[in-house]
Amino acid sequence: MDHCLVVKGLSKSYDSLPVLDNWNLSLGWGQRLVLLGSSGAGKTTFLRILSGLEAPSCGHIDNYCTKIGFVFQEPRLIPWRSVKENLLFVNPKVDYAGILSRLRLAGFEDYLPSQLSAGMRQRVNLARALMSKPDLLILDEAFSSLDLSVKSSIMEDINQLWLENPFAIIAVTHDLKEALYMADRIIILSPRPARVMQDIKVDPGPERSFSSPGLLQLESSLIKLLCSFQSEV
Amino acid sequence: MKSFFHALIGIILLLAVWQLLALILNKSIVPAPAETLSLLAEMLIFPPILLAAWQTAWKVFLALLLVMLIGLPLGLCLGLSKTVYSMFRPIIMVIQAVPVISWLSLVIFAWGIGWKGPVFIAFLSLLPLSILTTVAGVRNLDNNLLEMARIYRVPGRRVIKDIYLGSLLPFIAAIVDVSIGQAWKVILVAEYLSGGSGLGVEILRMRMNIDFPGVWALTLLAVFLGIITERLIKKLLGRLSHQWTIA
Repeated sequence: MDHCLVVKGLSKSYDSLPVLDNWNLSLGWGQRLVLLGSSGAGKTTFLRILSGLEAPSCGHIDNYCTKIGFVFQEPRLIPWRSVKENLLFVNPKVDYAGILSRLRLAGFEDYLPSQLSAGMRQRVNLARALMSKPDLLILDEAFSSLDLSVKSSIMEDINQLWLENPFAIIAVTHDLKEALYMADRIIILSPRPARVMQDIKVDPGPERSFSSPGLLQLESSLIKLLCSFQSEV
Repeated sequence: MKSFFHALIGIILLLAVWQLLALILNKSIVPAPAETLSLLAEMLIFPPILLAAWQTAWKVFLALLLVMLIGLPLGLCLGLSKTVYSMFRPIIMVIQAVPVISWLSLVIFAWGIGWKGPVFIAFLSLLPLSILTTVAGVRNLDNNLLEMARIYRVPGRRVIKDIYLGSLLPFIAAIVDVSIGQAWKVILVAEYLSGGSGLGVEILRMRMNIDFPGVWALTLLAVFLGIITERLIKKLLGRLSHQWTIA
């Protein structure tokens, strides 16, 4: 099978409010797809349908991934459970020590979420998602509440882990730099009801960094493209 | 230490008001605190009073246990399903509205004089509180945590243990807090009116003998026992709930 995920004619509306309009897309194994759109466009609704929390109004998603990791916008950690217990809550059979050390959380196993910084809580959120070695990692504006240094360090960690053992990624964001850093493909969405406006391949070269010339060049061309869409809308 | 002194000042104030009332009113109706305490000390070496205290205490424990064992799961079901809640809400309202005296008449007809009546009445008086407080707790659950558990397909048993119990803990503590004092009061009244044994029956006996200092001493004993029970149950609850608390 070439694709781990195929979306066919997917639409979603709440009562008379259309949110997603006729989505058709596919995602290859190990591919990194970023959905870029304005706030309230319906990106999170798509992820909720993908993760089974909501049903589509029409169309369907063929999901061939057996293991899915989800990194939420807010960490969603159980406040009265330690870091270790939060990870074991999701999967009690997995060795958590390796992923904690990989994400620079070794030594914090017995800490409660309230004893960690915002960045560390988000790393635990990521550790929980990566612990079971997922085929598909879903990132729902996972870095939007973090400052640039924490954000870039977590994104570097994800990039390193992906290079060691590629897994498919679907991330939603409204941050262009974030999208360019993470993506192999960027899908630009229209404002609500969200439609796929443009599917762009991203190839910044072997090295990914916020300041790499390839990414900066892509960023300026994407800004031009987004501005042209805005003027059309 | 500061709060201990504040509590001490409160107790001294209470004793002062009591002493003042004893001086103003008829001493046979309101005996002085020292007199009541010495009478209580005498009673405590009198086996029938100790037995009566024990008989009331176990009824209180049994009523609280039943309230917790039945009220919490029912509250959980009602909190999880709006349909079940709508079905049970009128029943709960009826239980809340029926006066204790009507329940008393019914239980005397059903079981006669004995321990079942006071336990049943205390149970019925406290059941709506435990159900409705648990429902409020369930509705207050963090939906984000439940969604996280759904996405990761965490088994229901683990979700109840790790998310539901932890979230409901403050509500369970509130139920215990309110129920202990209420249970003592209701059991004493029910014993007084329909009980075969217990402190309520002893208070009735003292009243019939026009022994008001005796009534005061037994009341004081009931208050002490109520406070001790509350402390014990809270300590027990604290130990049981240790794993769900945010240190």
